[in-house]
Amino acid sequence: MSGAKILVVDDEPQIRRMMRATLTSSGYQVDEAKTGEEALETFRTFLPDLVLLDLNMPGMGGLEACRSMREGSDVPIIILTVRNAEKEKVEALDAGADDYVSKPFGMQELMARIRAALRRAPGSLQGGPHGFASDDLEIDFDQRRVRVQEKSVRLTPKEFELLRHLVAHGGKPVPHRELLQAVWGPDYGDETDYLRVFINHLRRKIEPDPSRPKYVLTEPWVGYRFAIPEDP
Amino acid sequence: MITKRVSRPLRVTCRLLGSVALVAAIIFVYYRLVPVNSLTVALTLVLAILGIATWWGFTESIAAAVAGVLGLNYFFLPPIGEFTISDPENWVALAVFLVTAITASELSVRARRRAAEAIARSREVERLYALGQALLLSGSVRTAAREIVNSIIRTFEIPAAVFFAQSNGEFFRSDERTTSISDEQLRRVAETGDPLIDADGQIAVVPVRLGGHSIGSLGFAGCTLSTAALHALANLVAIGIERARSIDEANKAEAARQSEVLKATLLDALAHDLKTPLTSIKGAVTHLLAKRRDAEEKELLTIANEEADRLNRLVVEVLEMARIEASKLHPDRAPHSIDDIVEATLKAHEESLKGREVRLQIPESLPAADVDFEFIQQVLKQLLDNSVKYSRPGTPVVISAELAGERIVISVADQGQGIPVGEQHKIFDKFYRGLTWRDKVPGTGLGLSIAKGIVEAHGGKIWVSSEPGKGTVISFAVPIFKGELVR
Repeated sequence: MSGAKILVVDDEPQIRRMMRATLTSSGYQVDEAKTGEEALETFRTFLPDLVLLDLNMPGMGGLEACRSMREGSDVPIIILTVRNAEKEKVEALDAGADDYVSKPFGMQELMARIRAALRRAPGSLQGGPHGFASDDLEIDFDQRRVRVQEKSVRLTPKEFELLRHLVAHGGKPVPHRELLQAVWGPDYGDETDYLRVFINHLRRKIEPDPSRPKYVLTEPWVGYRFAIPEDP
Repeated sequence: MITKRVSRPLRVTCRLLGSVALVAAIIFVYYRLVPVNSLTVALTLVLAILGIATWWGFTESIAAAVAGVLGLNYFFLPPIGEFTISDPENWVALAVFLVTAITASELSVRARRRAAEAIARSREVERLYALGQALLLSGSVRTAAREIVNSIIRTFEIPAAVFFAQSNGEFFRSDERTTSISDEQLRRVAETGDPLIDADGQIAVVPVRLGGHSIGSLGFAGCTLSTAALHALANLVAIGIERARSIDEANKAEAARQSEVLKATLLDALAHDLKTPLTSIKGAVTHLLAKRRDAEEKELLTIANEEADRLNRLVVEVLEMARIEASKLHPDRAPHSIDDIVEATLKAHEESLKGREVRLQIPESLPAADVDFEFIQQVLKQLLDNSVKYSRPGTPVVISAELAGERIVISVADQGQGIPVGEQHKIFDKFYRGLTWRDKVPGTGLGLSIAKGIVEAHGGKIWVSSEPGKGTVISFAVPIFKGELVR
């Protein structure tokens, strides 16, 4: 998806300069913002296809900006930050980010992640199921619609892809690596913490009791599976 | 003090003479100047004796009473001019006079003593209150102890006082006059809790305790306070010292907390400021590296990229070391299987382990370790890195684990050249690099000290055993998880 619009949010001018030069030369359209507040402003006018967001900024930080953007949009958000602790990673993913790259990074790695985030074309899973229905859960994959106990629920594209992939395996466990590569892209595989966060989001949205899931189940040391309730 | 002691008998003699003189004056006035009957004289004398009893005391009033009886007898009761009495009625009158004078004196003196005692008690209470207020204003334990001694002297007008603080064994003496109370006496009273009050009231030492817990002892030289007041004072001092101590502790805890927050913020800011320029450099260099085809340019850009990485590693390690030294390392401990940690570490470092045979000797029965997954992974990575760096390519690396009591010992062994005996104890020191290797193998000399810091933050330990020429084994022990395992 060359020519895609990327919003770079970072308070450091040199990093914005470097990102603009490298991304533009790779064929992307780039706009920048210095703070979280400015990012939200530009987000509305520039309508980016992807956001590269720094966490540590004066004023409104990256996490808050991420949450605000996620409220009204499914646009992929990649967090770029100097912090590298598990806790911060999970916090960022929880705030709605799709991916997390720690600074300093190689440009090739970042480009691969940008491409993967932009790639998720709807209907990429050929021959998958068209839908699923039970007493309290209805999924329509073609229309990208989910209803829980008669109420419509909004899933982000990543959550939707994750759910689709699990349902497509019809009750069989799907290993971590396979799920990551199917949903994030071929360069992924070791980011099991991503899965943990997104599976949690999914459970909160579709499970009647998220603390005791009946659809999205953990297979210890292997991966996850979608349990199809047996007919009574 | 010394002047008082000399003047006391002198004063009593003067008063005795005064009392007798007063009686003589009354008798003279009635006998020579204003002739009245003997009843009036007797009543006037009783009045005077009461006055003497009230103002001066019992001894003086007895002297006055005896003088009065003699005077009445001699000058007013017939036969006048002789110490004899003819009328038996007058004997009775004289006896009544004497008994009345003595009883009234006695009562008056008792009342006076009571009043004086009440005044003394109320003064003591006032002073204790004043001391209590002074104690509330004092700061740390040391200044409080010094101030207590000064306040006691000032408030109670005691010549000299000493406070012994048992917690640090310090003596706070007001001046050299307190040397009549020995360190040993103060210490013994503090330990046993039995007060030491000598008979003539020159020395008093009382224990200072709060809730059965001994704080120290208080000694007074030349003190006139009642025993009750001494104990009240000791209680007050105990409360004052205890209060100062808890304020001290609260201050210390707050200071430690603030300095910890400050250190953490500083380290975060430092990490940000060091890594930000590296991000621009690495971003720019790697972008060019992907675009350029010219071999020379690629070589130079590769060098720049590798050096940026090296600088980044150095920044990460130095900051990590700073964090460990600032005790900012708080492992997030949970039950983890050693198997998982080893597997995750090997997976994450496939690249650097390429061409190496890694043998695992981890028994299946091993219990879970109570550790921070990421941190222990980092330790393991460091040990693997070292094994790979300091042994020949192609030689195997062995990772083993075993249970030793309530700990799990994890070892990484290589078949490298080993570490000379003289250097073995230094390898966990900051920035230490082996003499043989420091010019051949890149590194910061921080890796093993960080590993040591992490293992110690888990309450474990790390050690090396190495035989030059045969290889090196670095082992570390971490606690096993003892709680209920919930999956």
